[in-house]
Parts: sequence; C-alpha cells; structure tokens
Amino acid sequence: MKEKKNQSSASPATGTNRALGARIYRYKGFYVMFLPVFVFAVIFNYLPMLGIRYAFTNYNGIKKPSIVWFDNFNKMFSMPGFWTAFGNTLVISIVKLLLTTFFAVVVSLFLNEIMNIHFKKVVQTIIYLPHFLSWVVTASLFSLILAPTGQGLVNSFLVSIGVVDSGNMIYFLGSTKWWRFTYYLINVWKETGWQTVIFMATLAGMNTELYEAASIDGAGRWGKMRYITFPSLANTILTVLILNLAKVMNLFESAFVLQNDAVLDVSNVLETYIYYQSFNSGSIPNYGYTTAVGLFKSIVGCLLVLICNKWSKKVREGRGIV
Amino acid sequence: MGKSGKKISVFSIVNGLIFIILCLIIIIPLWKILVDSFDLKTAYGMKLWPETFGLDGYKLVFSNPTLYRPLLISVITTVCGTIIALMLSTFGAYVLIQWDMPGRNLFANMLLFTMIFNGGMIPTYLVLRSLHLTDTLLVVILFPALNVYNLVLMRNFFEGIPASLFESATLDGCSPMQTFIRIVLPMSKAALASIGLMFAVTYWNDYTHYKLYIMNSDLYNFQMKLRGMIMGSDLPTASGNATENTIKNAAIIVVIIPFMILYPMLQKYFVKGVNIGAVKE
Repeated sequence: MKEKKNQSSASPATGTNRALGARIYRYKGFYVMFLPVFVFAVIFNYLPMLGIRYAFTNYNGIKKPSIVWFDNFNKMFSMPGFWTAFGNTLVISIVKLLLTTFFAVVVSLFLNEIMNIHFKKVVQTIIYLPHFLSWVVTASLFSLILAPTGQGLVNSFLVSIGVVDSGNMIYFLGSTKWWRFTYYLINVWKETGWQTVIFMATLAGMNTELYEAASIDGAGRWGKMRYITFPSLANTILTVLILNLAKVMNLFESAFVLQNDAVLDVSNVLETYIYYQSFNSGSIPNYGYTTAVGLFKSIVGCLLVLICNKWSKKVREGRGIV
Repeated sequence: MGKSGKKISVFSIVNGLIFIILCLIIIIPLWKILVDSFDLKTAYGMKLWPETFGLDGYKLVFSNPTLYRPLLISVITTVCGTIIALMLSTFGAYVLIQWDMPGRNLFANMLLFTMIFNGGMIPTYLVLRSLHLTDTLLVVILFPALNVYNLVLMRNFFEGIPASLFESATLDGCSPMQTFIRIVLPMSKAALASIGLMFAVTYWNDYTHYKLYIMNSDLYNFQMKLRGMIMGSDLPTASGNATENTIKNAAIIVVIIPFMILYPMLQKYFVKGVNIGAVKE
C-alpha cells in the first residue's frame, strides 16, 4: 500500500509545463468523480473528528455541553473499569493474534504437504468458510453448542465421556474462568483457515529448486519443512503480525457478542466499555467522558499504527502499512 | 526407494486424517444447527439426521412479518450498499492513479489518514445523530460504503492496466468518465467481483452499525433480529410444531444459507481479493 510517488504510468500525457489552472481544468472530470468519495470521507470520518471536542466537556446529549477541560481524563485514569478494559483489550487482542497466526502457520505447513490437489481444494474450501460467518451467527452457533444444558453439544459430550457430571456442566461463555479460553477457541475456529490464504500464497510462489537441492542433500520431509518451508514464511508471518498489531485497539464486535454481564471483568474491552458507559449505564450518559475514553483509544491506536508502520518499513524493504 | 515411498504414504495418510478431523471440527457445529433446524423435538447431543423431521421452523421465519421484514432489509441494504460501495471504490481508485492531477496527493493523504485516526464511536454517533442519519437505513447503507482499504486494493489493481490503453483512449477523445466506463471497468472484472463480494459479505453480516445507529426495531436487519432471538428477548410466538430451539436454529440457517450455496463458486474471488492487496504489489 505504499505510495509510488514518481510513477505516472497511468496518467495521460504529462503536462509539467502547463499552468496549474490549465491542469486543473484538464482534470475537471476527475474532480467530479472524486466528489462523492470526498463527501463520504467528510461526513463519516472528518466531521466525527470534530466531535472530539466533547471530550473536554460534560455532555448528556440534551443540554448544551459545559466545558470541563481535563476532568474527564482525570476521571478516566481513576476508574478501575477503564484500566480493566484497557488491559483486557491488549491481552485479548494480542493473545488472539498470536494464537490464530500460530495455528495458521502450522496448518499452512501441513496443507502444503497435501499432494492430492482435489483433496487440498476441498480442505481449503471448508476451512475458509467460518471466516465469512458474521460474529452474530458465530456467537449464536456457539452459544447453542456450548450451552450448559443437555442441548449443548459440548457439555453433553463431556457428560457422556464422564469428564463432567450432568449436574455440574461448564458454562463456557458465562464463567470468568472459561470465557477467555472459549473466546480464543472460537476465534481460532473462525479465522485460522482464512489466515492460511496469505501463507499459502507465499508458499505457492516459492522456488521449487530449493526442495530439489535439499532432496539431493538428503533432507527428509521434516528437514525440508523445518529448513525451507518455514523460513520462507518468516517474512509473511512478520507482515501479518505487524498489520494486525496496528489494529489491536479496534476490538469490538467479537467481544461484544460473546460477552455477558457475568464475565465483564475478563471480557470488557475499551470499545465495549465505551458502548456500555454511553448507552447501557442505567443512568444519564456523559458523552463527554466516553468521548474522552474513545480519544485515548484512538491515540493509542494511532501510535501503534505509526510504530508498526515504521517497523514494517524496516523489515519489508521500505513498504509501510499505510 | 521403496522404503521412502512407504514413509511418504504413511505421512500422507496421517496428514490427510488430521485434515479430515480439522474439517469435521468446522462442519460439525454447522451440521448440528442444520439438523436441529429441521428437528421438531428439542435435540439432545449429536444426531446425523433430525429425529422428527419438519419444516415448521422455516415456515415461521418466512411467514412471520417480524422475521421476514429483517430479511428483506438485509437484502435491500446489501444490494444498495454494495453498488454504492463499488462506485466509491472505483471512482476513488481511478482518481488516485492520476499521478499528474493537482491535488492527487492531498486526496490520497486525506483518505489514508482515516486509516490511522478516527473520531471514535461516540463522536461519530453524535455527529450522525445531529445530521438526522441515525434511525434511517441510509446510515447502514452509506457508512460502510467508503472503505479505504478496499479502495487502495482497487487502486493497486488499476495500476496494472497498461498505460497505453489510457493514452489511446485520450487520443480518441474519451472523457475521463468514458475512459472509465469503456476501459477501466471492463479490464477490472475480477477486482470488481472480489471487492464487490467482500462488500456484500460486510453488508450482509453487519451488526455493529445497526447496534450503534438504529434504535427503531422496524429497521433491524436479520443479524440484529437473530441476535435478539438467541438472547431470548425477542422470540416470535412459536407456531405449529416448531419449538423455540427449532426456530432459533432455522433462523441461523436462513441467514447463512444464501452464502453457503454461492460460496464454493465464489471462493476464488475472495482468495484473489486477499492476494491483490497482500502478496503481489
């Protein structure tokens, strides 16, 4: 996604010496085409940025906002709920990222060893599928399957093999002990397959001569996987980690649809914290406070993107992420 | 040679078995939902086929207005949204490859900045509310339509179109719009398919925008409705022989089945979409 500034291959004959006005006139059609994009960006991205001013006010949505400067930030840093949410955001996002990437790499390595092309195609089709299910569907599916009743597939299986007794079923999504584990498991189920797409693409572009040379040198299957296939993925793995690390603060929907009041301590992330404080707090909301929390989130997110961008340029030969 | 041949086949069998198990782990939950949606008895454990087969769950979904209206809204917003989103992505991408155009870099940076920083959930909500966009279907159609990431994917694709085509079109006296329609769009069918499909899935699966900006339950899409049903707060009155559980399962199947049918045919476009952006550039 790097900007290629010196490239003009796709533009009509260059007009470097023309007056600016003439150039603008020549591109008038393009300005008209950009207008809708511009309007959308202003309404949905830039006007909301102006709304950040509410962070320095108390505002309940009805009365005029009253300016309180940094009170909301002081309040935020003294709220245990905020710190819990901040910690949860980092822990849940990062563990989730590491787990899905790890499993995606392992699955790719073994998928690459399947020689029967039809079987491989079928497997890929099936493992990509869950990525396209919405989070609502995924949550619905798992809340039915993990239900702590005889209808719940997992619990009834655990009962039948004698691991748990029927009076004491595990409430996977409703106990603080199990929630995160279950959340990671669901994420691995949903996203591992799709993440292999990018690794498989890298493997497909690999130089097969390396394998032949290794065979001549007497390398076995494991040797080749360990010393050729895996290292060739290293750069892609790093890329995937960097790209996703930039997005860790955005965690919302997946946590929101899988959590409930009983497990908020381990599952409340910043975006869901903002949501509950604004729309579900049971009292008059202070949009100023929740805007402040959102601003904090955006700034941390922005720093992460910039750090990852810099890091990416370093390891990916100058290619940034934005 | 014989020894190593045997070794390979043992590995292949084990590897194949592992992948069969992996596929089963993905299929079993979906199969369970499918079976239960046809089963009029509340189902315990795993069954290969419904015990008491019946279509009452599905009949209810398609006959109860509180259920088929959300479905209709899902269809309408997906179709309208995907068209508008493709329009914005292609227009924006086409402008971004005009390297000689005054203001081009400004426009590019304006779009890229939105990937780095945003106003946040609440300011966005307050602004949309003050523009009277909340509680209208416009917000759920228009908001997701500008996706800078997809726009950049489209731009990457457009950059692969040979410059000579643009030049000859300009010499023939085509306006930018004519060049766009006659050259850019026909050359980009694959990208239009992959990016259009990604948008369609986003719209069909949208829950967050509804949750944040739509309070009127008459405007809920099927994801919202499904969520309400599963949480138990919004169950339609059971009719015929369908139990609560049957209806829930049937609702899940209804929302995923259009995609499941089309998916095997469309899969290559989705994969292509990832590869336009990530690997080659």
